[in-house]
Amino acid sequence: MDQLGLLLDGFASAMTPGHLLWALLGVTIGTAVGVLPGIGPALTVALLLPITFRLEPASALILFAGIYYGGMYGGSTTSILLNTPGESASIVSALEGNKMARAGRAAAALATAALGSFVAGTIGTLALTFLAPVVADFATTFGPPEYVALMAVAFITVSALLGPNLLKGLAALLVGLTIGLIGIDSQTGQPRLTFGVDALLDGIDVVIVVVALFALSEAFGHLLTGSGHTTVQPLRDRAVLTRSDFRRSWPAWLRGTALGFPIGSLPAGGAEVPTFLSYSMEKRLTKHPKEFGHGAIEGVAGPEAANNAAAAGVLVPLLTIGLPTSATAAVILTAFQSYGLQPGPQLFSESGPLVWTLIASLYIGNVMLLVLNLPLVRLWARLLTIPAYGIYAGVLVFATLGAFAAGGTTTDLLVLCGLGLLGLLMRQADIPVAPAVVGLILGPLAEQQLRRALTLSEGDPSILVSGPITVTLWAVVALALVTSIAAPLLRRRRVARDAVHNG
Amino acid sequence: MTDPEPQAGPPAERPAPSGSDRRTVLATGAFGALMVLAAALVIIDAIRLPETNAVVGPAVVPLPIGILLGLVGAILLGQSVLRLRTAPAGVQWQPKALLRLAGMVTALVAFAVLLPFLGYVVTSAGLFVAAAMLLGATHLGRMIAYGWALAAIVFLVFDRLIGLTLPTGPWGF
Repeated sequence: MDQLGLLLDGFASAMTPGHLLWALLGVTIGTAVGVLPGIGPALTVALLLPITFRLEPASALILFAGIYYGGMYGGSTTSILLNTPGESASIVSALEGNKMARAGRAAAALATAALGSFVAGTIGTLALTFLAPVVADFATTFGPPEYVALMAVAFITVSALLGPNLLKGLAALLVGLTIGLIGIDSQTGQPRLTFGVDALLDGIDVVIVVVALFALSEAFGHLLTGSGHTTVQPLRDRAVLTRSDFRRSWPAWLRGTALGFPIGSLPAGGAEVPTFLSYSMEKRLTKHPKEFGHGAIEGVAGPEAANNAAAAGVLVPLLTIGLPTSATAAVILTAFQSYGLQPGPQLFSESGPLVWTLIASLYIGNVMLLVLNLPLVRLWARLLTIPAYGIYAGVLVFATLGAFAAGGTTTDLLVLCGLGLLGLLMRQADIPVAPAVVGLILGPLAEQQLRRALTLSEGDPSILVSGPITVTLWAVVALALVTSIAAPLLRRRRVARDAVHNG
Repeated sequence: MTDPEPQAGPPAERPAPSGSDRRTVLATGAFGALMVLAAALVIIDAIRLPETNAVVGPAVVPLPIGILLGLVGAILLGQSVLRLRTAPAGVQWQPKALLRLAGMVTALVAFAVLLPFLGYVVTSAGLFVAAAMLLGATHLGRMIAYGWALAAIVFLVFDRLIGLTLPTGPWGF
């Protein structure tokens, strides 16, 4: 019951007029930017990082909580009305929701997505409230060897999950790790990879890398391929559910939540796996199998709930052990670091009131989203008529603002441009950018822990496998490696066998 | 900023990259080559780091990262060379795509260089106009108005309201 008391204190802090205003601003901006096509929650948070640079930490984190949940919500509007998922977890909403919109049922699709997001977000935040302190307590027993093994788990799973294959994920991760090496080595004071350039002695700010890889590369990509044409599905009715729609939706919301939160909480979880699992579960359980693929409401309700529950779940490893398991979480970690806060077990003991205010504001933001968005859905839908050149020219203005706010020099803007081109090459090569961000953020921490562990053992590497937790974690690394190498081979063999079998 | 022009739209209308088309394979090869080059730089830099009294020196992490960069880069490069001959044609770029990209990079470099001299509002408005025109806008006058309005609002919100100091240039904004 301790948590409940702490949560109530968090609510007392989050319910002040100032903080409520930040939460409202966060969900509004998050939804508005999240609605814009091609801009998912990770890019939304990255672009809006500079807004928080001059705020006090509590206000900034409340604003971010709003932007995060608002961005998720806005993304579903885009997926349904424009068939453009902002990130891979929204693909299913685009698949089934856009079919509903094309059949004139956009309002029902948006309503089930909004209510499902609310239900899942609330249950997920409730689970976060009670689970996070327990995990944080457990994580306080971790020493440097455990952290090294845990980060190895994060590196391998993020590389394997966030890309088309392990090799490309690893390539992205190595890019991030290499960028993380640039600057003065904190333990020995030696400059590394600076090549005599003074501006590189402080390293490259994470914000610049994130904005370049997400925002600039996206805008550059539009220069190469053109912007296509809008096919926004018109929204005629109010976003409400009929009784039959509600009856079909609510079990799917709960099932999606039950899948999304626990999987999202795992270091290897993310939002994609539970979303796809939820879709296939709804497809299997539905009483209307013929509607699937043509706009089944369960196919929107379940995955949208799973997506949002996973978003709350992703905050568990992020807040308790400092592990970002999705691109958005990686950007949020950057926001914490810009305030000198390092998420991890100590966050709850050292900055408890701040964390509980943040968690309370997640509940508030969730309610605000529902109250604000269902009546305003027509307004958000109108944002989709903004031409792509306007959106991406605006993205560039905000990207340069973010880079300038982070560094404040011409060199930072030139680095932004260079990294934007690198991001474009990565996109063209189908190499995911998210593992690079995770590598950049966790790389220096992993190095610090590795060197600390090896210093403790006077250079003996066996310390890295010295306890049951480390052995288990390294076993997970090995299993993830074997699975991600073997699974595509088995799939290819099955496809070949089926091809032979079918003639 | 609602505009009746037809350029509007998301990337959804583009065919999704399959991951094995010619352009993706070429880009993967180029990325692999870049990784091999980066590996050489990382390894040389790590080797020239001086010895310290620390049990674990500053090169202990860069060295394996450099080696892995080289290995993964070489594999990506090798795979691309093998796949290039059989790779099907991929997503078509729009006309003068590379020229547009070069124009955008020039606009960004000009923005970076001119920002301290001309101030935030003028350079950001210029960047917006250049980007919008390169991305397919047709009404220059309208873009100047939009760009100017956006830059002015951003300046007011971030510089005056939030307190993020932005360069002002000779005219104070």
